[in-house]
Amino acid sequence: MSTPVLICDDSSFARKQVQRALPPGWDIDVTFAGNGEEGLAAISAGKGDVVFLDLTMPVMDGFEVLEAIKKQDLPCMVVVISGDIQPEAMARVKKLGAVDFIKKPVDAQRLQQVLTDFGIYAG
Amino acid sequence: MRGDLMSAEHLDEEMRDVFQEIANVAMGRAADLLARLLNNYVVLPIPVVNLLERNELKMALSSLKSVDSVSAVCQGFVGSRISGEALLIFNDTSFQDIAELTEFKGDITPDIELELLMDIANILIGACLKGLTEQLDVSFSQGQPVLLGQHLHLQDLVNNQTGNWKRALTIEIPYRLESRNVDCDLLLLFTEDSLAVLESKVRFMLE
Repeated sequence: MSTPVLICDDSSFARKQVQRALPPGWDIDVTFAGNGEEGLAAISAGKGDVVFLDLTMPVMDGFEVLEAIKKQDLPCMVVVISGDIQPEAMARVKKLGAVDFIKKPVDAQRLQQVLTDFGIYAG
Repeated sequence: MRGDLMSAEHLDEEMRDVFQEIANVAMGRAADLLARLLNNYVVLPIPVVNLLERNELKMALSSLKSVDSVSAVCQGFVGSRISGEALLIFNDTSFQDIAELTEFKGDITPDIELELLMDIANILIGACLKGLTEQLDVSFSQGQPVLLGQHLHLQDLVNNQTGNWKRALTIEIPYRLESRNVDCDLLLLFTEDSLAVLESKVRFMLE
């Protein structure tokens, strides 16, 4: 069965950049969300076993999404992809349960490395 | 007019989205430097992208509209057939906390405020422009930073803003510190002449 993957970012350009950086051979079913609230709804509906999550978003930001995932104990692996490269931001998202942090603009090699490191997709 | 979307009255939604995202990455790098300087977490906003007439400039400074008194620096940039200026505008109530965070001891005179303003302007404007140029694959040379004024009303500041432009693409980035009373607006203005080049650079990124 294809892995449900969610790309959550308020920028359609950023969503496309993430989608393009995904390994071509990975059998996935991709869903897009334009803010944290939509993202959380998609995760609750089982559309995000693997989530690529932006932090700076309207309506509900990435930190709030991570808090909600933790609180509701939703089964997903979250990789944060953000322009907020402050060490404090990285520390906060890890504490909130994100498996890793990738700085924007997203680099395909780095993303694939993260997928390998966490046993999500080894290629 | 096809292929000339930014020069039209309306900023194309796709263009706005890309500029917002590019600004997001650039402001994040600048915020990281500011956070290190002030040892404080910088809350990152969503950048606001607009196409404005000169007399609408105040609209691009929405986050400062209720502020009594501001101080500001501007710095021009030009290169790769793009030109514009960066304005850094501080709410004057910020300087007390900035002085404390940078461990400045002594009275905060207008000269000291100016020094703090110039130091932070160099960091934020420099990092932000570098972030933009790297992503757009262009290069800018920067002019000297110029003081626009201290302890002004926002309206007077807008009136003082002397750059030679009628219409501009504006990117407003309102920074604030999480646990301190520091807020400032970084405003990037790209002149109307630059729009065609910017658009072609963005089109290239979208391919």
